[in-house]
Amino acid sequence: MRVLHSMRYVTQRGVRGMAQAPLVQLLAVATIAVCMLLLGCVLLVWQNARSIADRWGVDVPVTAYLVDDVPADRVAALVERIAALPQVERVDVITPELAMTRLVEGLGDDPTLVAGIDPSVLPTSLEVMMPPAEAATAETLAAELAAEPDVEDVVAAGTWVARAQALLETLRSIALGAAALVGFACLTIVWSTIRLAVYARRAEIQILRLVGGTPSFVHGPFVVEGFVQGALGAGLAVTLLYFGFDAVEPLLADAFALAFAAGGLRFLSPLECAAVVGFGAALGVLGSRAAVARYVET
Amino acid sequence: MPILEFSGVTMSYGNGAAGSRGRTAALKDVSFVTDEGSFVLLTGPSGAGKSTLLKLVLASERPDAGTIRVADRDIHRLRKSSIPYLRRNVGAVFQDFKLLPDASPLENVALALQVLGLPPAEVDLRARRALTDVELDPNTRRSSRCLSGGEQQRVAIARALAGDPAILLADEPTGNLDPRLSREILDLLQAVRARGTTVVIATHDPLVFEHVEASQILTLAYGRLVADTAAVAPMPADAPAGMPSAVSIADTMSGAGPIGAVA
Repeated sequence: MRVLHSMRYVTQRGVRGMAQAPLVQLLAVATIAVCMLLLGCVLLVWQNARSIADRWGVDVPVTAYLVDDVPADRVAALVERIAALPQVERVDVITPELAMTRLVEGLGDDPTLVAGIDPSVLPTSLEVMMPPAEAATAETLAAELAAEPDVEDVVAAGTWVARAQALLETLRSIALGAAALVGFACLTIVWSTIRLAVYARRAEIQILRLVGGTPSFVHGPFVVEGFVQGALGAGLAVTLLYFGFDAVEPLLADAFALAFAAGGLRFLSPLECAAVVGFGAALGVLGSRAAVARYVET
Repeated sequence: MPILEFSGVTMSYGNGAAGSRGRTAALKDVSFVTDEGSFVLLTGPSGAGKSTLLKLVLASERPDAGTIRVADRDIHRLRKSSIPYLRRNVGAVFQDFKLLPDASPLENVALALQVLGLPPAEVDLRARRALTDVELDPNTRRSSRCLSGGEQQRVAIARALAGDPAILLADEPTGNLDPRLSREILDLLQAVRARGTTVVIATHDPLVFEHVEASQILTLAYGRLVADTAAVAPMPADAPAGMPSAVSIADTMSGAGPIGAVA
């Protein structure tokens, strides 16, 4: 119970401390929001690029469509043969039923377009996965597969897959780089703000230490402050991002209708939004702990 | 029963290792024992080491050599994480009060109880009781900066006593007060002692020596303990003239008394 009471006092003092310098808090939250907005934009672009790539199937270098009514044992034997090839990572069998499910999912808002269609009109296909390094050899593999008697048609994304994967990889690197930069920027902002707060409230810190405050009790309010700054900044960034996305999404959808034919852009999921806010809060806690560490020496 | 025990304590400030030439000695080989419930006056000229001694008891500083025992525990062997718990048992009052200027007296006193993790209702009750004990109105909404010096010192004493410490340290508690307020504060400290709390006052204010009935007087000069009245037999009622007493030591401080050895 004592711990709970202590946490309550620490939180109260943290909130009171923030109220003492509202302008500083506002500036810190706004600056963190701008940084997190940058990170959110990069995440959104990367996530949607990946999503579009998935929908267009660019992650599947080679797709082999089988002739009708191939017996299951021959399909299994074919799969085994292809999977044994050195440049192949994995072979997935896409039954007509699974293909129909994917089609319905791909149509998104309007699945009635395929209502009543028998899945058997769709052919069984094999999706041949290759490691990114082997994607360039997809054309050669496609030619080998086309020679198989049970294969009717082969589609090789080949070089395009390699390019798309390279682009996704670049976007991922940018996202990671942005996360690192934003993380550092947010840490610096919180650190500076908390240092100012520590300086302004150094008398209080001294008194708390003299009356027997433990280090966590003494620095707790500043950690609360950092946490709130980080979480509010990130929350504000997510909110701005949402409204910005809402405004821009129809324009992009019109301009790149073909690219989005298989499905529109999507915003971050609630879990991803929570992760961004959590990331901001964690940065706030880290920054404030670093700022206050020197002052909790006994 | 001893509550405070210094044994061969040496302490210096400055850069470099203990004992090196770059350091200035603040206390040299200080040893004394104080019994529970005592009223101790720690005296000596400015720079004699009085405040350093109090800081050592609060574990704000570490001695270069020697041991300091509070309630039979060697406090400088305590882990860093245990120091706050020591301080909850040693209340401290300062010349500059060390209050939160924008907080009310009740909020200032409550701070010392909040660190104990007590429930809000108990914090409020005990803070009000502590303020009432020092004859202050717990309901006043004035911030501490609006209080008189005497009232501020009372708040500081209430804060120091709120957690029921075994020892109350007071560093020049009358230093910023006029004689009338000083007497009030000294009466209050004597009442604290009467409740069983050991009181240690560091002072060079002659008024303190005139006004209080000390059970032990420690005199420091240039960092050395030059007189300890507890080290001699208790003064009998018919003590001959020349026996060290509170007043004679106060005289010594002003250069008129018989213990000229303090210099």
